Amino acid sequence: MAPLEPYTYIQCPCSDFSPLGQPADASSPTSAEEEEEEHTFDPRAPRSNFGLYPLEYLLYCEDCHQIRCPRCVAEEIVTYYCPSCLFEVPSSNLKSEGNRCTRSCFQCPICIGPLSVTSLESAPPDPNLLSPDQGGIPHTTYCLTCSYCNWSSTEIGIRFDKPNSIHAQLAKIRNGGETRLTAKERKERRKELSSHRGGGHAAAVAAAAAAAAASEEAEVVDLETQFANLKSFYNRQLADPNASENSLSTLGDLGFSSPSSLSRIMNLYTGGRLNDTRTKSRLGIMREAYTPSEGLLVANLDESDAIAKLHQTTLEDTSSMDQLMAQPPNLGEPQLHGEACFASSLRPIPYLLRTKRSKRCPVCRHIISKPEAKIQNTRFRIRLVAGSYMPSISIKRLSLPGANGSSSSLVAGDFLEPFKPVHFVLTFKNPIFEPLKVTLGTPAKTPGRFPSKVTVLCPTFDIDANTDVWDEALKDNDRESSVRNTDGSGSSSRRQRAGTVGESGQFQVEAGKVWGRGRNWVSIVVEVVPASLQLRNKDDVLKEDEDILEIPMFVRIEWEVEGGGDDDVSGQSAAGRSGAGTGEQKEKRELAYWCVLGLGRIKQ
Amino acid sequence: MSRRALRGEYIETDTGNKVARKATLVGTQNIVLGGKTVIQAEVMIRGDLIRSIQSSSSSSGGPPNNTAVAIGRYCFLSRGACLRPPGRLYKGAFTYMPLRMGDHVFVGPASVLQAASIGSHVHIGAKVVVGEFAIIKDYVRILDGTVVPPNMVIPSFTVVAGQPARVIGEVPEGGHEAFELRDLYKTVGNNPQPAPA
Amino acid sequence: MSSKRHSILPPVSSSGPKAPVSFSSSITIADSAILTGTSLITISSESVVHPRAKLDSLAGRVTIGRRCVVHERTTLGAIGTTGKVTEHAVTLGDYVTVEVGASIEAGNTIIGEGTTVGVACKIGAGAVIGKNCTLTPHSEIAAGETIPDNTVVYSNGLRRPDRRGVADLRNKGQTRQIDVLRRMIPSNPAKFTA
Repeated sequence: MAPLEPYTYIQCPCSDFSPLGQPADASSPTSAEEEEEEHTFDPRAPRSNFGLYPLEYLLYCEDCHQIRCPRCVAEEIVTYYCPSCLFEVPSSNLKSEGNRCTRSCFQCPICIGPLSVTSLESAPPDPNLLSPDQGGIPHTTYCLTCSYCNWSSTEIGIRFDKPNSIHAQLAKIRNGGETRLTAKERKERRKELSSHRGGGHAAAVAAAAAAAAASEEAEVVDLETQFANLKSFYNRQLADPNASENSLSTLGDLGFSSPSSLSRIMNLYTGGRLNDTRTKSRLGIMREAYTPSEGLLVANLDESDAIAKLHQTTLEDTSSMDQLMAQPPNLGEPQLHGEACFASSLRPIPYLLRTKRSKRCPVCRHIISKPEAKIQNTRFRIRLVAGSYMPSISIKRLSLPGANGSSSSLVAGDFLEPFKPVHFVLTFKNPIFEPLKVTLGTPAKTPGRFPSKVTVLCPTFDIDANTDVWDEALKDNDRESSVRNTDGSGSSSRRQRAGTVGESGQFQVEAGKVWGRGRNWVSIVVEVVPASLQLRNKDDVLKEDEDILEIPMFVRIEWEVEGGGDDDVSGQSAAGRSGAGTGEQKEKRELAYWCVLGLGRIKQ
Repeated sequence: MSRRALRGEYIETDTGNKVARKATLVGTQNIVLGGKTVIQAEVMIRGDLIRSIQSSSSSSGGPPNNTAVAIGRYCFLSRGACLRPPGRLYKGAFTYMPLRMGDHVFVGPASVLQAASIGSHVHIGAKVVVGEFAIIKDYVRILDGTVVPPNMVIPSFTVVAGQPARVIGEVPEGGHEAFELRDLYKTVGNNPQPAPA
Repeated sequence: MSSKRHSILPPVSSSGPKAPVSFSSSITIADSAILTGTSLITISSESVVHPRAKLDSLAGRVTIGRRCVVHERTTLGAIGTTGKVTEHAVTLGDYVTVEVGASIEAGNTIIGEGTTVGVACKIGAGAVIGKNCTLTPHSEIAAGETIPDNTVVYSNGLRRPDRRGVADLRNKGQTRQIDVLRRMIPSNPAKFTA
């Protein structure tokens, strides 16, 4: 098992039913913690898996003052575009032509790589065989080639005359080079036939009808046509159900399983309601399709041809499940819907369109993320991310030199030894322009089968505001003196480690004191004693990821939003005061959430 | 002039570029660095593979622009990376096209890039191979070991991985700051600042 | 970069004895190519060797066919895990392209004509690769394996036959590429012959 990089996941309140998510309960921190211990967040519960996100994935609604995760956010589509040609597709085109690119962007059916249009040099035809009007002009044809697996559309027998608008040309060709009529052409043909039937010579009509019937039967497998026929048939049935062409209109001949008798029997049981009278009048005798012209598709269960062909082919020439899943609906060959077994029946895949989406808060409907409509522009008009409102937590392992004899060779991500106390430094960075007061709460033992002991050495601390570097330099002198008094650190530069320096010159962790402090960050130490992974019974098996040491931590941050206040009050105001606008013009805000710190894997 | 003891590992130019002495840059007059770019040791940039067909419009204004590789600001080329202009047959003759990179591009160790253009804020992992004439847009993350086939277009805000490269995710709105390389630039050089907390 | 420096090329560490070579007259070999070893290195007509390519003939002869292109940072003839020393370590057919960072181990390894060995490929000792094959980047061929003609090795070891039939076209394209490369890379075969 690979060692683990420490991570931090935050739980979105949308998955939490308990009332802890709502702020502004006037309770002191300690009683709130006790309450929370009963409802301790268990990161190993199956439900919590869906509510945990790293900080980058979370957005923040400024009006609700709450976190929003990708699950609870409501998305709206700004634009559709093809990921290959980066052309915008108007949403009106989407309804008519589907959600794939209709220009020349295709994916290889074998390896899903991009296909490019290449020209085939056709050899100039033999001059002796040329008819006078051809004149010896070489006709360049084009084909699609994959630049990764070297597949070419010539392997399925498809060549193109023009290098652009490949999608339209592809719709007219089947694998193997035969042509295929699109739905529009089919309609036109049918119209011609019906107009022929109306008048004209009987012989010509008969010949045309025979040819049409033959071609229709040959192309009866076309999915588009079948769907169109079936749809028009059902529409006719719904409009005028009693005008059926067959003579089986009496109830007795149809038996019990026909739809009309079933509906009649059901009406006997549920009869008496007013709204049924309307449906009764509509219900005539309806039937299913009988002939291919009405949309009947006879299943072809005889696969002996396919089996015979399979005997001849190699494994590479058959298609895999991934390749079949990636294929778009094959309009030309519906009997191959997800069942084609040969690689030669796979077709190039048009690219699925991608979208630019804007996100709305589900509660107050304000927009919290809105990209620019233009595809080339990567900026955002509105982008309220949680990272600019919540402190980010980074975790590093702390190896105290000389504390234990063996700590000198520790590498971040090493396995944790059971029963040996380990220290981690958590660094909280403040992104907002006000000072933050942070209160942490963790259960003393981690939930799960193997509880490890957790101690946060400094659960309450302040982080200074994220001011400019110049302001910091001006305030340096003030801070140096005050910091020296409280926790004995040296200067206010970034790298200085706090914590008392023992007599022998080593750093020691002390409860109640922060480890380090900087312009807008504070780091504290968490001590963990990992549990041993001994299984009680011999049949017990360690579940997946049960050896990861995860600490659920409840974080509450409080800050004041000004009207004009200066940053000196926050440390002294009690956490319980709800700050009901007593004329100070400062509004107290707080945000509380559960987060999970994954520290590492315990050695087995 | 400079004694052995004073030679740092990097040459720092006045525009802030830090080029390792052990990097191999061929044809440097055709390589354009934007400024504050870090080139670590064993990186190879082929600036000698320039465009051999000159368009006629260049004759009007000064010497023809022979840039083979153009790199933006705050880029970071890790150990062993190789940047090579892509080449193909154009109108019957073989020619190389320039490779253009945007700002804040991180190229992982042992990667080989032959793309036509790479946008800004791109993070390319280790041992990545980008095929010829690929186009990578802005804010893209390419994971380790990916092979981007030739002629592929990777749109903005995607995460790609695999051989051949497939889109496996999107970059979230909160992840834009992770692409900034200003802090990484400060940790390298002859006087490296330690990484911020 | 300042225009005063023509190139930044750290000195090539001469790691080994200078190899006996047999060059055709029309080859292009860059100055900073590395040719080491004790057996003969043969490069046939019109081939191109880019800077920093390494041809190592300690484990046997290295033969490069006509109109081949060997890119930079490649290693031809590295001693593989088997450690065999045979008469012919590596043989490349005509029109072969070996791309950046590929490594071909020694031990009767044969690469057929018209083949493209992709970026960072690893070819084991004694492998035999057929004609007109394509190895996509990061493919690994185990030692002793045989790849039939016209095969594409892609995506973590999958194979498929290549039916495009563009071998001639590709070779012609390679010829044009070589014409352009000969003008671009300053060639210095004399450095290796003496």
